[in-house]
Amino acid sequence: MLKRIKTINKIASFMAASLALLAAVPLQAASIDVSSIVKNAEKAAYYSGKDGRSDARMMIVDAQGRKQMRQFTILRRDVADNGDQQMMVFFERPADVKDTVFRVEKHVDLAVEDDRWLYLPALDLVKRISSGDKRTSFVGSHFFYEDVSGRAISEDNFVLQEDTEAAYVLKATPKAPETVEFAYYVVTIDKKTNLPILIDFFKSNNDNYRRVEAVKIEEIQGFPTVVRSKVSDLESGAYTLMEFRNINFDLGLADDVFTERSLRNPPREWLN
Amino acid sequence: MKNVFSAFVLSIGVASASLLDVALAQETEWDMEEWGEEEKAPKSFSGFVELAAGARLSSDPVINTDKTLADLRAQLQWDKDFDASRVKFTADLYYDGVLDQTKLQIRELAWQGSLSSILDLGEWSKKFDIKVGQQVLTWGTGDYVFLNDLFPKDFQSFFAGRDDDYLKAPSLAAKVSGFFDWANVDAVITPKFSPDNYINGDYFSFFSPFAGANVAPGFEVSSPNKPSSPEYALRVYKTIGSTEYAVYAYDGFHKSPASFTEFGEPYFSGLRVYGASAITPFASGLLNMEMAYYDSKDDAQGRDPLVPNSQSRWLVGYEQELVKNLTGSAQLYVERMSNFDALKASSLTPEFDPNKNRVLFTQRLMYRALQQTLTLNAFNFYSTSDKDGYLKLSADYSPVDQWQLSGGFNVFYGKERFSFFNQFEDASNAFVRFKYYY
Repeated sequence: MLKRIKTINKIASFMAASLALLAAVPLQAASIDVSSIVKNAEKAAYYSGKDGRSDARMMIVDAQGRKQMRQFTILRRDVADNGDQQMMVFFERPADVKDTVFRVEKHVDLAVEDDRWLYLPALDLVKRISSGDKRTSFVGSHFFYEDVSGRAISEDNFVLQEDTEAAYVLKATPKAPETVEFAYYVVTIDKKTNLPILIDFFKSNNDNYRRVEAVKIEEIQGFPTVVRSKVSDLESGAYTLMEFRNINFDLGLADDVFTERSLRNPPREWLN
Repeated sequence: MKNVFSAFVLSIGVASASLLDVALAQETEWDMEEWGEEEKAPKSFSGFVELAAGARLSSDPVINTDKTLADLRAQLQWDKDFDASRVKFTADLYYDGVLDQTKLQIRELAWQGSLSSILDLGEWSKKFDIKVGQQVLTWGTGDYVFLNDLFPKDFQSFFAGRDDDYLKAPSLAAKVSGFFDWANVDAVITPKFSPDNYINGDYFSFFSPFAGANVAPGFEVSSPNKPSSPEYALRVYKTIGSTEYAVYAYDGFHKSPASFTEFGEPYFSGLRVYGASAITPFASGLLNMEMAYYDSKDDAQGRDPLVPNSQSRWLVGYEQELVKNLTGSAQLYVERMSNFDALKASSLTPEFDPNKNRVLFTQRLMYRALQQTLTLNAFNFYSTSDKDGYLKLSADYSPVDQWQLSGGFNVFYGKERFSFFNQFEDASNAFVRFKYYY
């Protein structure tokens, strides 16, 4: 089946190319602009609307099948599309992290580290966190910080591997390979939604050890949105499921929602 | 159940044009029952029960038990959200097997909200938040080192190996926070003086210069020697770029009874503190600086041997992730005594006097392993001026949401029996705790 689709697709693209030649359209227009695919995918995945809120829950399943839950609410505000972002994560579950708040000022300029804070309610402590390796576990899950906040597209070189009817398949190679655990990753970007729907991470021996996939997509206020995703550790069999609910975009979240004030006294109108 | 879900995905796939390839939704096993159990809003009650035990590494001649920790504890949390405010309650009921006492500690019973939710003064009132009641308060930039944070601390719990949460003790206070373009302001009034839970001999003995040896009187400071006036604390802070600046002021009392009346009774003498701090990203980590001037009001000239002298305190710290999941930090802390010569001249026990400068280095290594279910911490205080230190080692393991197992050591070491840390040499202990969340 898949093979047939590919064949059809090849024919289709051949026809398209022939038509393009016939119409004497300049060659660049027919060639595919990889950087704009990537940019559109980033925008679709992380920059829907000017701001947004969502309830999230995660189920973390370790290699022995033991389960942990996380439940939190995310508020996000874009300083600019494909640019800097403000983010707050309010934890509700499990009991030992209830009312813990995580605050991030994300900077896309690679020379500027993200600013991060953690509010620990039992100590009434606002703890500034040193910018760490972004490819470490987000609250014990198999998602990395970078999966949640978005890996800057300027960190990788992208080449088109495959152009099917439904999707672009790109191979991404890190510009600074010593800073990451992967040799390259292959991302499938759905043409209809511009959303990355499958990302497979490989080691240098082409061993596919990690997978991030969109499991369910819904259109919310006109924005195609991943509402269920899964990340798998393909070596151990452990995985994490994440589900977003009660999603809203363009709420008009003000700058002053994303401050230390909200760590101690959360903005309830946006949380409940 | 899995099949039902597959059908669900399929039907959505057919119904929704924006759904991705069915092929991609393959082999996902979203167990809806498991998710379904928290469809409801989280319950407003939560908490845990904990069993904790600890013992001395070597016996203490002045305390007749080797037990340093023996808690059977239940914590209950409850909160209620209103439109723009919240009431929160956290209480610990525990049996303390070292003292053979059952205790209730209200860690939080406070109302918090915007001023505008109780008093409508237009835009102006929206700039203020208020938190009133029993609460834990913290500010400042130090790691286990406090300069401008004069809120009560519980050093007995810290030494015994209770959870770090218990290092901060609650106080009955009112906090007003104002948020303005020029800066943010926190003002805290604690009507009834809340001292630290200092080392008083209940669990651990301490050095008495008058006895020339360790003592364990288990004393309480009685009411005539306990301050009756309130404590005031103020912080003004602002972030400029990525750097956070703050200035602080405090008017109250020394938090432990380090002063003595003419009859030799310990009391809390007056104290004012002024200070400032900054914290900023630096290199690939975080750099923090803090200073404070401790104005010992009852001994302005430093001549009174029964009252601590004024001090200036300085802190510089740096924290960085060293390799993935391993964070290291170091701090340099200096206490400089004012009017040192005056103290020397009037001292009753000059052989046990502290140095003019107390210099302290701290190092922390924190490692997270096994998908963050295991956290290892090593924190070391070492004083180059006193040639003594305190090493705190701990491990926390929690592979599931329901329970956590912790264990560790508190080790005090040094040369002289009267120095700041080494006086607690016999307090060195090992501990283990098991916590079950309900």
